[in-house]
Amino acid sequence: MRMRVDHHPVLGKQTDRKQVTIFFNGKPYDAYEGDTIASAMMAQGVYALRQHEVSGNARGVYCNIGHCYECRVKVEDRKVVRACLTTVYHGMEIDSLSGFSEGNE
Amino acid sequence: MAGEKTIVCRCEEVTLETIVDTIEQYSCSSREVKLRTRAGMGYCGGRTCRNVIDRIVAATNGEPIKDELQLSYRSPIRPATFEVLGGGHENES
Repeated sequence: MRMRVDHHPVLGKQTDRKQVTIFFNGKPYDAYEGDTIASAMMAQGVYALRQHEVSGNARGVYCNIGHCYECRVKVEDRKVVRACLTTVYHGMEIDSLSGFSEGNE
Repeated sequence: MAGEKTIVCRCEEVTLETIVDTIEQYSCSSREVKLRTRAGMGYCGGRTCRNVIDRIVAATNGEPIKDELQLSYRSPIRPATFEVLGGGHENES
């Protein structure tokens, strides 16, 4: 987990975290319970959660407080949620909304 | 101002250059900028760029920012699926 803060100066060592596996566009990723989709993907170095519907530019987390809807993703079947507000659970199936081409990380 | 290619409205990808050109050409208000360039019409409902557009309009036209709300909040104030409108299960969208 390259991006995770494992030893926080104030919160101390992060020990009791249950690891879960989530799937984004079919690929498995590791995450911890209590992560949001946004933080879990960011910890895995995946920043592009969707593509701009017109220009195709990669888009991802922007405000991270559920304000801008840039991080909207599809969960399970047809449920559209904001990645920054939705906590992960084991076996969560997440997909990008529009046609997402792999190369556009 | 910042680089002309700076994006002001993320949802619709409207750049600062487009907005300033529109204002200079039509010397228009925020509302007219929104109608002409779609800045502020995006998925986020203008949350991100509403104030920025107001400030750019005021700065370019050289007038103080007006008190009353320039870009009104339009329904639905947050994206809503037909399921939610139709009373289906809790789909946050």
